[in-house]
Amino acid sequence: MTETTYAAVEAPPRIATVGDFVALLKPRVMSLVVFTGLAGMAVAPGTIHPLVALTALLAIAVGAGASGALNMAYDADIDAKMARTAARPIPQGRIAAGDAAAFGVALSVASVTVMALLVGFAPAGLLAFTILFYAIVYTMWLKRRTVQNIVIGGLAGALPPAIGWAAVTGGLAVEPLVLVAIIFLWTPPHFWALALYRADDYARAGIPMLPVVAGKRETRRQILLYTALVVPAGLVPFALGFAGWFYFAVAAGFGAWLLVGAVAVLRERDTVREPAARRLFGVSIFYLFALFAALIVERIAAFTAV
Amino acid sequence: MGETDAERTRRAIEMRERRKRNLAIALVLAGLAVLFFFMTIVRLGQNVAGQ
Repeated sequence: MTETTYAAVEAPPRIATVGDFVALLKPRVMSLVVFTGLAGMAVAPGTIHPLVALTALLAIAVGAGASGALNMAYDADIDAKMARTAARPIPQGRIAAGDAAAFGVALSVASVTVMALLVGFAPAGLLAFTILFYAIVYTMWLKRRTVQNIVIGGLAGALPPAIGWAAVTGGLAVEPLVLVAIIFLWTPPHFWALALYRADDYARAGIPMLPVVAGKRETRRQILLYTALVVPAGLVPFALGFAGWFYFAVAAGFGAWLLVGAVAVLRERDTVREPAARRLFGVSIFYLFALFAALIVERIAAFTAV
Repeated sequence: MGETDAERTRRAIEMRERRKRNLAIALVLAGLAVLFFFMTIVRLGQNVAGQ
């Protein structure tokens, strides 16, 4: 009797917990999206009421989370086949795919509506485009069909700085598009580094990631190629004058670190454990956080100096 | 047929999780109401200042 009770207590509850619904929102992805959205706001000219800014960031966060929920609802079958994603609430049977889809749609509508009513129609339109692009173009169309899935799909993850900028200015300009381009070019080396050491996972799930389709050798070349593009792109904000010397130092320093990591991936001989790719995946996250943190720090410094 | 200990325990866990979910939904809705209230004041203030 005691054993039965113990087993029942230890067994996961059949009903979905609050934590399961939070997991559907992909909180770690959400944090990067909010951060880059904040950077877009920081570099934008003009002012924004702090509560309006907070509302815009909240809408970006919820919109990003909604995209994550829609992605998990659609990809439940392949998530179950991959070690990295098998523990997610839908493959584990704690949330039904239909419930996750309804949750995602409700949050999508709510985030875009809040953005439109309380912040502006331009950022709301961009947010709606981002959610639809991620859920439909990337998740439903590209992910299972083309090796360019994360290259083109990366646009969805790249757009938050433009949403942040539009929340302040009501429109778009070259500066936010440069920030979008940086994230867009950063996405392939970031995800291909992951795909290198998770290649078996992706092959089992039938996702045409570059190492699965073109092999690891070609993936290493492509990682270096995109890294060689993103590092100079990271310096463009300084060249265009909307970032200062501090940003330049951070972008150059972390850019050099990223390049060294990409070269190490190219030279990697341990094709089983792929330690260089694991390191590059971590360094790439540091790189993007550092660049956008530098933009925000410079803007705060300029604001407090006035 | 009576309920076993295992079923009773599972039901208790489900009830607890359901309460937590209800509380989370209530907090989110209350947060939204507060947000809309203060945003209305901010928007009204901005419109008055703009006149």
